[in-house]
Amino acid sequence: MNDIQTRISHCFANVFPDVPLAEMPRTSVASLARWDSIAQVTLLSAIGEEFSLDISLDDFEELTSWALIVDYVESRTGNG
Amino acid sequence: MTLNEALRLINSRENRPQGAPVFLVCGFQPLHLLTFLQAHALERLPGEHIEMVTGLFGDLPGNIRKAAESNATTVALVLEWDDLDPRLGLRSSGGWTNAAHRDIETTCRERLQYVAELVEQLAAKAVIALAGPSLPLAPLGHTVELQATSFELGLQQEVGAFLQKMAGIPGIRVLDPSWLLSASPRSSRVDPKMGLMAGFPYSAKHADVLAGGLVELLYPTAPKKGLIVDLDDTLWAGIIGEVGVDGVSWSLEHHSQVHALLQQMLALMAGNGVLLAIASKNEPAIVEQGLSRRDLLVGRDAFFPVLAGWGPKSSTVDEIIRAWNIGADSVVFLDDNPMELSEVQSAHPAVTALEFRPKDPAAVWDLLMRLRNLFGKPAVFAEDSLRTASIRSGAEIQRAHSAAAGNFLETLGGRVTISYQKDPRDKRPLELINKTNQFNVNGIRVPEGDWLARLQSEDAIAATISYEDRFGALGKIAALLGVRQGQDIRITSWVMSCRAFSRKIEHHTLDSLFRVSGATRLRFNFHATDRNRPLQKFFEEIGVESSAAGEPCLSLDHFSGVRNALPHQISELSS
Repeated sequence: MNDIQTRISHCFANVFPDVPLAEMPRTSVASLARWDSIAQVTLLSAIGEEFSLDISLDDFEELTSWALIVDYVESRTGNG
Repeated sequence: MTLNEALRLINSRENRPQGAPVFLVCGFQPLHLLTFLQAHALERLPGEHIEMVTGLFGDLPGNIRKAAESNATTVALVLEWDDLDPRLGLRSSGGWTNAAHRDIETTCRERLQYVAELVEQLAAKAVIALAGPSLPLAPLGHTVELQATSFELGLQQEVGAFLQKMAGIPGIRVLDPSWLLSASPRSSRVDPKMGLMAGFPYSAKHADVLAGGLVELLYPTAPKKGLIVDLDDTLWAGIIGEVGVDGVSWSLEHHSQVHALLQQMLALMAGNGVLLAIASKNEPAIVEQGLSRRDLLVGRDAFFPVLAGWGPKSSTVDEIIRAWNIGADSVVFLDDNPMELSEVQSAHPAVTALEFRPKDPAAVWDLLMRLRNLFGKPAVFAEDSLRTASIRSGAEIQRAHSAAAGNFLETLGGRVTISYQKDPRDKRPLELINKTNQFNVNGIRVPEGDWLARLQSEDAIAATISYEDRFGALGKIAALLGVRQGQDIRITSWVMSCRAFSRKIEHHTLDSLFRVSGATRLRFNFHATDRNRPLQKFFEEIGVESSAAGEPCLSLDHFSGVRNALPHQISELSS
């Protein structure tokens, strides 16, 4: 994992503490039952706070997997 | 605290023992407020996990009723404008026209009356931290933002009247909107994106501040108990030994008004039960003359002891702490001289030493606020006004006791009253449990919600002990909480104020407890602490083995054998 992915993994662990680090890259709304609307808001708020990002309403709807979130953060922080 | 820090803290406590649940009552989606509330509560209760309970989105009255029906005895209740009328929130399209204003006003008034009734009912079973609407009102006025409209002021007045009424009800603690304004700027409180998307209207920063304030109300920091004050250039301006009794001042006229402010503060604190003492490097006679000036704004009787001499201040402070019989960590020392402060601080590291800077009014203002925060407490009790007088009479009793022969206690005309009534409105027993260190069976502090929950148990037995004698009334000075387990009573809390030591009130308490409860054995949830040596000494005296494995016990047979004659008249109020 690069630095951005490590920081994202910390946010994931804060919201989904029982998901092992190795499984995080495979997680999505579809694969993780506890990833509901409340968890989605909490997770993206935590990631927004970690990277000082203001995540738009539309992006809140679309960032529904680890992979999408990593791509999004890397593109927003210019580290893609 | 950041959201990530709050989440980490919560996760780190997942497997810890669970304390009593906390109910967050609000009409919006609780989201980050719930997270921050839980995290701040966990910070206050190290070693525990706390279950958080919430209600349904958009139903504040229903959620208040749910809290009342739940087993939660600790409640954080957060009101927002759209709980009073949905048109005042972001998620309604009901209209902001001038024509709607009268109807909005009426709806808010009626809703506040209804909420007040529900909250009052809830307060009978739970401790409540209540926050009024903290979001800015929607732009409903016809004026520019800085010009208030009658309509907006009217809404704020309705809320103010509601909060005022709630603040007068025991068990309800209202978050001061002025405090919140300084801790969380109004402009950064609202998060419209989260409000529209998730029904959560607050910025994370505001949620953090709001949660921190609510937790402080629910689990207040233990207040300091005693303030030791210097005289020259602190209580008054001038060196009394040099300028004479009439030369010291505390007035605008003499440019010494800051001392008048301090004196007013001290008079207020004395009335609220704070112990005040004087430590002065002066001749005792001139100190007495100075303190007897009739224009002093705090009465001479507010101070005990008054110690003047030329020895080190640390020795004087030591003598005062012994006279008060309280821990040094409950004491604040106030002096204008940095060298004296340093000397006292070095000898008594646990004492909070504060500098009085009479030439810096801003620093004095900050100091007065600091004193309020160090000594402030949720409620004032009748016992608070008796405290200084009873410590003074306690010293007289000690002197008389030393001089007298025989059964001195029997000459006091003491009357012990033990109430077994489990009254959740009487918060004095809880205050005693949470501030007493020396005669304390385990030193365990009990959050108000836990205490209320224990009182509600049918097996619970609670006793509140009051005392008076010919030297005066001490008020309610001891409290005991236990649970019946067959023929045993397991005592989970037992404390007695240091003002009541040496009067055999503890013997009367055990005698009454055995007799009234019919128990044949008392078991004590005892823990030795570095402060409860007086309790341990009492256990040794009556033969309770506090160092034995398992919980120490006292059987009725054993107690009957070791119990001496009890010196006081006793009355008991049954449950």
